[in-house]
Amino acid sequence: MIEHIPGDMTVTVTGDVTLAALQGELKRRGQWLPIDPPFGGQSPHPSPLPFRRGEGEESTIVTLTIADLINFNASGPRRFGYGTIRDYLIGIKVALADGTAIHSGGKVVKNVAGYDLLKLFIGSRGSLGTVREGTFKLRPLPEREQFVQARAESLETADRLIEAIMNSEVAPVVLDLHNLENHGMDVVAGFAGTREEVEWQMATVRELGFVEPASLDYEATFWNDPGTVSRLSVLPSRVFGAIHGLGGIPFVTRAGNGVIYYRGKPTTTEHPPRQLRREKTFDGSILAGAFASGYGVPALAGKATASPGELKVLPTAESSHAPPPEGGTPYPDARHCAGSGVQCASESSRTAALMRRLKDAFDPEQILPELPS
Amino acid sequence: MTLNAADLAELRAMVGADNVIAGDAELLVYECDAYTLEKQLPHAVVLPRTTEEIGAVVKWCGRRGLPIIPRGAGTSLSGAVLAVTGGIMIAVTRMNRILEIDARNRRALVEAGCVNARVTQAVKSLGLLYAPDPSSQSACTIGGNVATNSGGPHTLKYGVTTNHVLGFEMVMPDGEIAWFGARPDGGEDVDGYDLRGAIIGSEGMFGIVTRVLLQLIRAPQAYRTMLGIFESVDAASQTVSDIIAAGIVPAAVEMMDQLITQAVEAAYHFGFPLDAAAVLIVELDGLAAGLDRQAENVIQICRRNGAREVRLAQTERERLDLWKCRKRAFGAIGRLSPNFLTQDGVVPRSKLPEIMRFIKAVSERQGLRIPNVFHAGDGNIHPLILYDERDPDQVRRALAAGHEILEKCVELGGSVSGEHGIGVEKIDFMAKQFAAADLAAMRTLRGVFDPEGRCNPHKMFPGSKRCADFAPKKQASA
Repeated sequence: MIEHIPGDMTVTVTGDVTLAALQGELKRRGQWLPIDPPFGGQSPHPSPLPFRRGEGEESTIVTLTIADLINFNASGPRRFGYGTIRDYLIGIKVALADGTAIHSGGKVVKNVAGYDLLKLFIGSRGSLGTVREGTFKLRPLPEREQFVQARAESLETADRLIEAIMNSEVAPVVLDLHNLENHGMDVVAGFAGTREEVEWQMATVRELGFVEPASLDYEATFWNDPGTVSRLSVLPSRVFGAIHGLGGIPFVTRAGNGVIYYRGKPTTTEHPPRQLRREKTFDGSILAGAFASGYGVPALAGKATASPGELKVLPTAESSHAPPPEGGTPYPDARHCAGSGVQCASESSRTAALMRRLKDAFDPEQILPELPS
Repeated sequence: MTLNAADLAELRAMVGADNVIAGDAELLVYECDAYTLEKQLPHAVVLPRTTEEIGAVVKWCGRRGLPIIPRGAGTSLSGAVLAVTGGIMIAVTRMNRILEIDARNRRALVEAGCVNARVTQAVKSLGLLYAPDPSSQSACTIGGNVATNSGGPHTLKYGVTTNHVLGFEMVMPDGEIAWFGARPDGGEDVDGYDLRGAIIGSEGMFGIVTRVLLQLIRAPQAYRTMLGIFESVDAASQTVSDIIAAGIVPAAVEMMDQLITQAVEAAYHFGFPLDAAAVLIVELDGLAAGLDRQAENVIQICRRNGAREVRLAQTERERLDLWKCRKRAFGAIGRLSPNFLTQDGVVPRSKLPEIMRFIKAVSERQGLRIPNVFHAGDGNIHPLILYDERDPDQVRRALAAGHEILEKCVELGGSVSGEHGIGVEKIDFMAKQFAAADLAAMRTLRGVFDPEGRCNPHKMFPGSKRCADFAPKKQASA
């Protein structure tokens, strides 16, 4: 760690520091970086999440470094309440492909001097430069954090429980859905803040059918499995249609954000029951999306189909979830271009061309790894 | 070059006769933004109604080698929309509709010319709000907010524009249309580089944003808004640091010093004390449960720092009045001085007492009054340097004072701009805050979006052409 000034609520660290080590230091001063990725991230109420480096290997605890955190845009269940690292990174020092060191942003929490170059490095997997240092906004550790859960025998029940939370006055920091227990699905909600805030919210959700005890232990269960993980990102109101399309394979869903992590190949191609379909709010047509025909077929991965009415949400080919040290594809991706047919495809190729130009401009010799597509 | 009748006819054919402004008298409105020290008329202003019209105008400009100047409401404070070498100004103010509100997913799709405050008004009944609230929110546009990554008092807790914009449509400098970030019916995680993030705050130099997908937030259940009255700026500054250090995350912490408080009181009659050295507005929001205990904490911290009095807004009316005074503070300056120059530096919060002492010393040294009203919780200062533009020496001293203050911000580990942007005003500071390699990387990024430098040229980078560097053909008198 280079500099932590509690009164400024900011910290500057080198890229090789582990997130766990950083959180440990911050905790002693009553603060934390509100990000809780599965790999070695530590929550304010620590539950370290070791993971295996790869199939067949001895279980090796690998912790995420600050550079990993930025490169992979890693996040965890608390992203519903706190956002992602994009919301906290305020300064960065990067070595470009030719070795030149540059900085973007700074140490202050508000800064619009120059372009917001640092955003480009978040999730870029080292393809534009090597992260040497990051400066982050921090938050005070919440006075209290508590979890509740509710069992759901069916997706319809899970849907009702989550809608009940969304329509109530509570403001959960975690709103997850998973099927990792033997009995079906669980909706998990977490609340953080002052003692009074948490107590009030716990009382409110008990009336909605949520119970204690609950924890985020399912995270370790899910991420420790050596199998490959894929990710889907959909409009939050459509997660149930998308989950239906998975056909019962193991998943963890950040229901509040519409992000679904799953392991294995989706098995269902039939449409979900009517009650799980939501009218599109924006253009009035019934949602297309994750459950349409062709879902999950690897051959389609990476190609946004253009014809209206067809599937336009395609997961990429499966990838390992373990962040390999060099140039691998640790975080699974969903490629999607849901929406407006042909125009969408041409616009997508335009942004793809821009991204290519960006990569070529920052790494003309193609020394750094490619950003996996 | 100048536009001839045939050129104007072509522009009128593209956007409609009523939507082209080319007469000098009418163009005067567009000679500058709220930074009035440099002025220049564009060749013409177009007011398109659709993205496609903008695309056509941009392509037309490309064929003629004319600069394109995107413009929202023109409330920017750094000359960001100045037509330095003329060109076609494309104002999005007639594209002001709210297209869709998706309450379930807490999203709104709006046109770029939609006024910031209208969004929150439109979703209020749904219990939602759009968090970024610049003081100009009743006039400034969402498109302009995207261009400058606007902030506001409540960014302390909620973050700035980039934290609340999911995606947008943009006309590229070649006239093509592209969408960046999340789509209205798509998930929030998008593959590839965060081009959306790189475009937000690029001051209109990468293209013209036309439609914006906003992330809304749940409106707070309750507020506790306090007014702390202090005998010294130092004590108020220390209070800010202590509140942050105590682990409280207020929605906003704003400071006004005596000069500005007096002007605001004379203008709006809120009941501010005229003899206090500084007042702090501290707002807590969120769930009602526990808010009183937090408010009590804040009051105690104020008292420990010698606050003479801490008032708690008793009604919503009182709270809104307080905010109205704060947000209209710049408007009250007219009572103090014919002109003012505002700076927008940022320092680490712990350096607030130091920068405030420095501003006072600068004020004395330059013989100019400098009232302060600013986002203390973010360390984002807004010294208002008062001068009279009829006196060239005062103008010179005002500029010198601004320079000294911004240099001090950089020296203290801060930034020359927290929310107003670089524009033409702060070009000279870029080389002070950034190394040559940093600036080169920014230019590289510019080249990716706008290889020919067509869009909003002569901004941000050192060495850019200034209005004073050439003989303007159509300079309007102030």
